[in-house]
Amino acid sequence: MNRPWLKEVLRRTLYPDSVAVIGASRSPRKIGFQVVYNLIKDGFRGRIYPVNPNAEEIMGLKAYPSITSIPDEVDVAVIAIPAEKVMRALKESIEKGVSGVVVITSGFAEVGRAEEERELVRMADEAGIALLGPNVVGILNTDHNMNLSFCPSLPYRGRITMVTQSGALAIGLVGWTWANRIGLSKMVSIGNMAQIGFEEMLEYLGDDDDTETILLYMESLKEGRRFVEIAREVSKKKPIVAIKSGRSQRGAKAAMSHTGSLAGDVKLYDVAFRASGVIPAYGLEDGFDKALALHLQPPMREPNLVVVTNGGGAGVLASDFAEEYGIPLRDMPQDLERDVRRAISPFGSPKNPIDLTGNAYKEDYIEVLDKVLSHPWVDGVVAIYVHAAITDPYEIADGIVSIVKRYPDKPVVMSMIGGREVSIANTWLRDNGIPVYPSPRRAVAAASALYRYGEFLKRVGM
Amino acid sequence: MSDPINRILSEALRNGRKALLEHEALALAKSAGIPIPHYVFIPLGAKPEPDFPPPYVLKIVSSDIIHKSDVGGVKLNVSGEALESEVEELISRVRSNAPEAEILGVLVMEMAEEGVETLVGLTRDPQFGPVVAFGLGGIFVEIYRDVSFRLAPIPIEEAREMIREVKAYKILRGYRGRPPADIDAIADVIVKVSELGDKYPEIMEMDINPLIAYPRGALAVDVRVILGE
Repeated sequence: MNRPWLKEVLRRTLYPDSVAVIGASRSPRKIGFQVVYNLIKDGFRGRIYPVNPNAEEIMGLKAYPSITSIPDEVDVAVIAIPAEKVMRALKESIEKGVSGVVVITSGFAEVGRAEEERELVRMADEAGIALLGPNVVGILNTDHNMNLSFCPSLPYRGRITMVTQSGALAIGLVGWTWANRIGLSKMVSIGNMAQIGFEEMLEYLGDDDDTETILLYMESLKEGRRFVEIAREVSKKKPIVAIKSGRSQRGAKAAMSHTGSLAGDVKLYDVAFRASGVIPAYGLEDGFDKALALHLQPPMREPNLVVVTNGGGAGVLASDFAEEYGIPLRDMPQDLERDVRRAISPFGSPKNPIDLTGNAYKEDYIEVLDKVLSHPWVDGVVAIYVHAAITDPYEIADGIVSIVKRYPDKPVVMSMIGGREVSIANTWLRDNGIPVYPSPRRAVAAASALYRYGEFLKRVGM
Repeated sequence: MSDPINRILSEALRNGRKALLEHEALALAKSAGIPIPHYVFIPLGAKPEPDFPPPYVLKIVSSDIIHKSDVGGVKLNVSGEALESEVEELISRVRSNAPEAEILGVLVMEMAEEGVETLVGLTRDPQFGPVVAFGLGGIFVEIYRDVSFRLAPIPIEEAREMIREVKAYKILRGYRGRPPADIDAIADVIVKVSELGDKYPEIMEMDINPLIAYPRGALAVDVRVILGE
C-alpha cells in the first residue's frame, strides 16, 4: 500500500524532539521503566514525558496521567502497556497530535489477533501518522542520541542502518556492533510490520542522509513486488544487504505447470534480491561482513579479482572461495605478471593468487599492491596477511593503508590471520576504511558483495 | 478488443476453462511473436487438409485430457497419405481409452526437426508476481533442477544472462562437434514470455516445453497455458 505522507511523519518519529512513554514505570522490571531509563542514560536531548496515572514522577521527571494532559507538543508516543489498552492509548496519541507511535506491546497478529492489529493500522492511516510495531523493541538512533527502546545501550556509532524483523536480534546485536566496531546510524525494530515494513523503511532510508548503507534482517515481506520496486530505486543510491531467513512462502495452490513446481524449489527471494540490487547475506556474520565492505569500499564493476598473500595456503583457500562465490580468479595479463615477478622473492608466485611468501615485509606489500592496483585490468583486490614471526602486523597494515589510499576507486578487502597480535592492526585498517576479516573465506565473500553491487549498478546503467 | 491475445484468453475464461486448448495456446504464442511450428486444428468430423507438408504430428484436443499420450492421444511421423485414416484412428483410440472425455478435434502439426530441447516457463509467485524460468529439457530440469529464474518483465540482456547461468549452458554453446544453438532466439522467447506474464494477469502459468533451439532460430513445439482470475 502506498502512503505518500508516511515518509515525513516517519522522519519525525526517528528524530523526535519530544517523546511520551505510555506505561512509564518506576519498577525496573517493566519495559516502561527501561525505555525512560534508556532515553535519559544514553543522552536523549529532547523532552521526555512519562505517562502513568498512578505516579507523580518517574526518575525525576514529572509523570502525566494521560498523554492528552501533557502541556506541550509530543512527536512520538511509545506504547508499553497491556494489549487490551493499546487501542485507547493510540486514540489518545492521535488526539494529542503525535507524528508516530511505537507499539512495543506484543499480543497482536503474532498470537492470532490480526483484526485488532488491522484496526490499529486503520486508525493510524486515517490520522496520517506512523505506526511502528506492534511487538517491537524500539528505535535506536545514534545520530540523535536516542535509545527509544529496551535495548541496554546504543550501538557503536556509524553510517549503517539496520532494520530488523526480530527484536531479540536487535538487542543481541547492539553489543556485537561494539565488539566488532561496526558503526550504526540506526537500529529499527519493525516487529509485526502492521504499517511500517521493509518497504516503508527503505522508502525513508533512501533519502536519509545519516544512512549510507542498509542492512536488513528479514523473515518475510508484506508486499514482495513493491519491495522489489522500492529496493531497486534505493539500491541505485546506497547498497542494501539482506539477511533472509526461511524460504519463499508459496501459496497453498498446487502448481499445475512444470514451471510452477520448479519455482517452488528455489529461493525466489534470491531472484527478487538480484532484480532489486539487494545483496543477499547468509547469516548475521555474513550480513555485517558484507555491509561493512559495501560501506567502506567502492563497488567492483568487473570481475577481475586479484589475491595478494604472504601464505600459499591462504591464497589457495581464497581462490577456492572466489570460485564458489561467483568471482573465480583469472590469469593476469602478462605484463602485470612480469612486473610482479620482478618485485617478489624467487620463491614466491607471480600468478594469481600472488604469493609473496612468509618473509614479505611492508615494502613488499606496498610494491606489489602498487603494481596490481595501478593496472587497468585489475578490478578488485583481496590482500591477505598471515601473521609471520618475522613481521609486525601493524607495520604491514600501515603499509597497506598507505598504498590503498592512493587508489580510492579500486576496492580492497583484507584478511588478517592471527591471534591477538593482529587486533591492533585490524583496528587501524578498519579505521582507515579497509574492511578486514579473520579468514580468507569471509574476505572473499565480502569482495563478492562488492562485485554483486557493482554488477547491479552496471546493469541499471550507473 | 482487437488484441488477439485478449480474445483468446477471454473466450476460454468465458467457457469456464482453466487452461487453453493446445491450438489456442499456439495461437496465443504466435500472436506474442513466439515462433511456433505450422499447425491446423481439425474439428471433430472435419476433413484434415493441412497447407504444409508432411510428416505430421497428431494430438487429440480435449479439455478433459491432461496427459494425451497416456490415452493414445499422440501420434508422431504421420505421412500425407495416411493422415485421414490416422486422424480417425486417433479419435477412436482415445474414445475407447477415455470414454468420458469430450473430444473437440485433432491438432495436426508440422513435425519439428531435432535440436536442443529447452524449457521456458512462467509462473506467478504470491509474493513476487510473474516469474520466468529457463532450463534445458529432460533430465536437466527434471533431475538436476538446473533452472534459472527472473522476475518479469525481463530485458533482453537479462534473458541472455539467464541462459548463460544454467550449468547445461555448455550444451547450447555447441558440444562435441555440434553447432551452437541460437542464444538470441531463445532469449527473445524468454523476453516475450515475460511480457505475457507482465501484461496478462489472466495467465497464471505457462510452459513452453520443449522450445527446440536450432543453430538458427527456435521453435515452441509444445505450449501450455493455465488460466486464473
